[in-house]
Amino acid sequence: MIDTLIATIVSGLVLGSLYAMMASGLSVVWTTLGVFNFAHGALMMIGAFVAWTVSEAVGLGLLVGVASGTLVAALIGVLIERLLVRPYYGNRNMLLITVMTTLAAMIILEKGAQMIWGARLKQLPRLVDGEISIFSATISAHEAILVVLAPLILLSIWRFNVRTNTGRSLRAVGQNQRSAALIGIDVPVAFAIAFGLSAALAGLTGALLGSIRFITPSMGAEPLVKAMIVVIFGGLGSLGATAGAAYVIGLIEALLILWLGLYWTPFVLFLMMIVVLIFRPNGIFGGRQ
Amino acid sequence: MGRLLDVSRVTAGYGSITVLRDISIGLDAGECVGLFGPNGHGKTTLLQTISGLLKPTGGTISFDGADITGARPRDIVNAGLVQSPQGNTLFGEMHVLETLELASISKRARHGKAQNLRRVFELFPRLDERRTQKAKTLSGGERQMLSIGCALMCAPRLLMLDEPTLGLSPRLKKELAAAVGNIAKSGVPLVIVEQDVEFLLSLTQRLYMIEHGEVVREIDGDNAPDHDAIMQLYFGEAAH
Ligand SMILES: Nc1ncnc2c1ncn2[C@@H]1O[C@H](COP(=O)(O)OP(=O)(O)OP(=O)(O)O)[C@@H](O)[C@H]1O
Ligand SMILES: [Mg+2]
Repeated sequence: MIDTLIATIVSGLVLGSLYAMMASGLSVVWTTLGVFNFAHGALMMIGAFVAWTVSEAVGLGLLVGVASGTLVAALIGVLIERLLVRPYYGNRNMLLITVMTTLAAMIILEKGAQMIWGARLKQLPRLVDGEISIFSATISAHEAILVVLAPLILLSIWRFNVRTNTGRSLRAVGQNQRSAALIGIDVPVAFAIAFGLSAALAGLTGALLGSIRFITPSMGAEPLVKAMIVVIFGGLGSLGATAGAAYVIGLIEALLILWLGLYWTPFVLFLMMIVVLIFRPNGIFGGRQ
Repeated sequence: MGRLLDVSRVTAGYGSITVLRDISIGLDAGECVGLFGPNGHGKTTLLQTISGLLKPTGGTISFDGADITGARPRDIVNAGLVQSPQGNTLFGEMHVLETLELASISKRARHGKAQNLRRVFELFPRLDERRTQKAKTLSGGERQMLSIGCALMCAPRLLMLDEPTLGLSPRLKKELAAAVGNIAKSGVPLVIVEQDVEFLLSLTQRLYMIEHGEVVREIDGDNAPDHDAIMQLYFGEAAH
């Protein structure tokens, strides 16, 4: 019994790490631009495919592959901001319009990936082979890397936000664009940086996930939905709340799978989400708005 | 070489609404000028157009001999033309020190950062006492101080202040007026928007009265109106 519980908690930790990396990217874009990027999952998928092409098809090795996947996703992120978000800035219906344009980007990227890479399942090798046991539970060393990496990445985003001028200027732009412009911050550049950073995070997550799950054009959909649930629980405003919610959702999901099985888990998760939305519209950790 | 700031026949507005009509103002280095006039007649719009937040539909703006018509706000700040906007709310979630440090982000301002910070805290000791307080929890007067402090952190070569004492108690108003006087004495040319003409006359050499987006009257030391004449200016205009 204890063994199963530990195994469940460990797998919850792996899920939580994945969701934390996804949701923190969504949060960066939201706090800077006030846009919810529906193409975030598709950017993750692009990261995985590019990593596969560079490391497997071209044969440059996994590390170069992961780096390329991250970079290409970042570039596409910047492109999405430039072409599909920026033209609608200042529009009264911007939030709604960008829901549609980023959804369009998602579809274009998914269909594009299908055309380029085909429908055949692909998978990346692992960064390191072998397994690691934590008490009585065993996970692959690759998953262990993900678990260690996620908090490190969150911590560095947090430091970037608080300590660096660039990070601070992203926050400033998110809080008051006019004032930001009037102290000499280049607002369009801040938009591009936010989107690029967020997309890089998605690409990296995808490239790492490509060793655990199959790489398919729609592989980003499920993590995006989970990241959305995370964001609803945590609110989008603060990185800490978003990260906290990611681990809580990861653990809840792992426990639900243990008790109810795979079939009922999404149903219960969505039910919880609706209840949260009714009683705490700003999220459990979200506080006021 | 022309004037430090030269706004020449500028037309600007919001969408289809024209607010500024063919307006011209200017100042030379070492000069302070004031803008006043009834509410809603385009003073803030003029400053926003000069700062690049609004693109003029006609006319030209030059700063220190360089054409800045339609330039990006960032480049205008970089050139040293800085504004402390009206009723500024700044960045609610950021604390005072963080905000001031960030305000020296432009290339010109970066190396003078420590010195400018010291100067801001000298000018506004209240900000010094509240270094780690979030902007949203500051009082109205303190916010105004932070806003002016931010503008000073940008190392301005010309500073535009949009109603720096708006909505403040007489005591706070005095405090801020003294600070603005200090800034002027330190040699920074100022463009000040205020409703209080006597306050403006104590700080500036020249005043522009703005109505319906136009300069309707220019006042300098020689033809300075007395109190009654000022009342006449305001209420006489309101009559029609
Ligand atoms: N964003 C906007 N969109 C449309 N109209 C605007 C906008 N901002 C200001 N206006 C209008 O432009 C006109 C001039 O406003 P402005 O703020 O420049 O006046 P002001 O002289 O600064 O007034 P006050 O003394 O009250 O600050 C007003 O009629 C105002 O309603
Ligand atoms: Mg005004």
